[in-house]
Amino acid sequence: MACLCDVALIAQLCTVLRGGSCAVTFGEWGSGLGITFAIDITSLVFAALGLALSLAVTLYTWREDVRPASAALFHFLIGACYGISFTKDLFNAYVLFELVTVSSYLLVGTDRRPRQIWAGLRYLIFSSFGMSVFLLGIAVVYAHVGSLDLDVVAAAVSASAGASWVRLASALLVGGVAVKAGVFLFSLWLPLAHSQAPPAVSALLSGLVVKMGVVELYRLSAAFPIGFALTVLGVATAVLGIAYAVWASDLKKMLAFHTLSQIGYLLIGFGTGSEAARYGALDYAVAHGLFKALLFLAAGDAAAAVGSSRIDRLVEGRDQLGGATRAAIGLATLAILGVPPFAGYAAKAVLESGIASVPLRVCVFLISAGTAVSFAKLWPVVAGSPRGRTARPRAAAYAFLGTAVILFLPISRAMEPVSVWSATLHLPAMAEAFAASLLGTAGYRWIRRHAPRLPERIFFLEEGILAVLVGIFLIYALLGGS
Amino acid sequence: MVGWQGVAAAIVLFGIGTLGLILRRDLVVKLLALGLVNSSVILALVSLRARPNLVPPLLDGPTPQALADPLPQGLVLSAIVINFAVLAVALVFVMRLVERYHTTDSTRLERRTHDEEES
Amino acid sequence: MTWRRAMPWAAVAVVAAFCGLVLSQFGLGQERASDAELWMRAAASLGARNVVSAIILGVRLLDTLVEVIVFTVAVLGVRYFLKIQEESTKAGEEIPESPLVAASSAILLPGILMLGAYVTVCGHLSPGGGFSGGAIAASALLLAAASLGAERVSARFAESRFERVEWGALAILLLVTLAPALLGRAVTTDLLPAGVRGNLASGGTILPYNVLISVKVFLGSWVIVHHFLRHRGEI
Repeated sequence: MACLCDVALIAQLCTVLRGGSCAVTFGEWGSGLGITFAIDITSLVFAALGLALSLAVTLYTWREDVRPASAALFHFLIGACYGISFTKDLFNAYVLFELVTVSSYLLVGTDRRPRQIWAGLRYLIFSSFGMSVFLLGIAVVYAHVGSLDLDVVAAAVSASAGASWVRLASALLVGGVAVKAGVFLFSLWLPLAHSQAPPAVSALLSGLVVKMGVVELYRLSAAFPIGFALTVLGVATAVLGIAYAVWASDLKKMLAFHTLSQIGYLLIGFGTGSEAARYGALDYAVAHGLFKALLFLAAGDAAAAVGSSRIDRLVEGRDQLGGATRAAIGLATLAILGVPPFAGYAAKAVLESGIASVPLRVCVFLISAGTAVSFAKLWPVVAGSPRGRTARPRAAAYAFLGTAVILFLPISRAMEPVSVWSATLHLPAMAEAFAASLLGTAGYRWIRRHAPRLPERIFFLEEGILAVLVGIFLIYALLGGS
Repeated sequence: MVGWQGVAAAIVLFGIGTLGLILRRDLVVKLLALGLVNSSVILALVSLRARPNLVPPLLDGPTPQALADPLPQGLVLSAIVINFAVLAVALVFVMRLVERYHTTDSTRLERRTHDEEES
Repeated sequence: MTWRRAMPWAAVAVVAAFCGLVLSQFGLGQERASDAELWMRAAASLGARNVVSAIILGVRLLDTLVEVIVFTVAVLGVRYFLKIQEESTKAGEEIPESPLVAASSAILLPGILMLGAYVTVCGHLSPGGGFSGGAIAASALLLAAASLGAERVSARFAESRFERVEWGALAILLLVTLAPALLGRAVTTDLLPAGVRGNLASGGTILPYNVLISVKVFLGSWVIVHHFLRHRGEI
């Protein structure tokens, strides 16, 4: 019943918001006063991603007795995500972010296991602190602009370029949102929270909620000159995320680190600013949402079947996995590696075609290879003969997401201008994608033997908060350098 | 109090709260510090446009003076309610953790949860 | 020096530098002058005397709705995470109160409740509104719980009985906001007449919104306070 209500309500919410597209400002107040929602390709794409993921999660939990409280939380979470993808008002974004935070950390602790509760509490403290920084940024903006509408703010910023408050406000706003967006140095709560949460919640958190921070960063980049800072943050996020993912021994933790590394692509795409890169980043946001949700759902299933989410145990107990689970893991891995013709390739190729600078392209290629390195650990899980069974609703969820991953290429091409994607069907792009994944898979054996000691302390609560402040300084410095 | 004094006080309070969040290991004290951080931002918003000669934003007031800017006051109302909600849930989480581990020390909690994961 | 010893100093340095950065770059003293004119006109068109309530329940109604939902979610969370203990543990013991507190709270209670109701109902005329009114009324219950004991208050005022009222208030609130869409107007448009400014029956939908929010905040705060009271002394 709860699930039926889920679908009905989500569909309703969606139609309400679609219907709201003609009246862009809420209430009849005129712009500059009321809260404005932007209905553009970005917001629609993210709303569509939210719809797809909520459907998948609904399918996944179909026969399980979802507590009414959790179902309500899912609604609020997804509704708030729709809101964030549309809103162009800074304070409205703040309020919606808080709704996302409150409902998602309740969802992280939904099984009431102490470790989940600890992960949820850390998430709460981090994001509450981040949102305070964001609100401080709003205060700076309001003091100098007198409005919270991003269009008005953009006009004021371009009128007073070089003023000291612009740099401060953008550092505070970006820093605050980055805590939610899965940017490295800011989102050090993320690996623990995403790996401890129940699988359906991890899928939503990783696939959708983290993207909401990225949407807000994108909206901010339209008003503030933060493109260069976003690109640098993107590269740092991707490199560090992969560094931790390569030597992670726990599957769900590895996936959580990969959420960080893939957010790096999005930031590079949005930060570069060319049209193709922007389309590529949008594509990649959806593609990543789809295959990462698939990975988290299947990983949760596999961990439940084997009794542990450690990769070596999964390899030992791989015969107990259902065929559908295994196929889902394999397909999603191919997609995240960027092997043609799956979703990852379709998005990554557009993104790369929009990047002009050579060092950045080399970076992107190395990030792809690094992804392949860490996912080489998973191949033994997929190989072998399946004997176990996958519950039917879960198989349906995998089938739904898997179809989306496979059909992503033609669908996304139908929605984009030809000039953006024509370069991506050429042979070099495909060869590059194959080369990255082969290089990475081959490099895995060598790299595995040379595990360095990466600092673990930065994931503690105290060091994490300190890291957020240091990160704000970093952004501030980067804004001066652009 | 003129606007900039309030904002300056708020920023100093923000710093104190952040230090408490980083340096104190007791979770309850941490949450108090988090409350201080959140409230300091509220103070900054409210005192942003505070001037000695402004009157509360009510129409038809006895004095035809300039009204105070009403928008920050509206925003602050939302922020206060949200902070209340966040702190309530955080305290509940702390209660559940204490029930299990019998400590409010964040370093010990970090270690205990980590050890559980290893075993 | 190890990181453990150096960390506090690093923290002090970083935080001090952060405060210094914000203070020096804020541009204090160069703020743009406020234009309350715009908001005054919006409030006048709504018929509300209190400009702040015209903003939060008119122009920026969406924020307020989301905020009410955040509050609901918090109440839900408190209820959900403290529920299972309720059957297993015995109710917290009574704290003996001096007769002075009991006697004075009996006198104060009706007054506080009245004040809460007044602040709620006149939210569009004078400073106040649903949030503060609800919080004031909930503090009356807190006083009663302190003087009479949480058990006796919750026996008279059982939570399960008004859980429906609480959700109903939220549902009506959402319906009222979405209703203009059915009539082809923008969502959250105010449909009620503005009325004569200064009268009780003015300000369009602000009065009903205030009452609904007040009910919501009153019940929600009581749920939170009650749960914490029931579990006191367990740490």
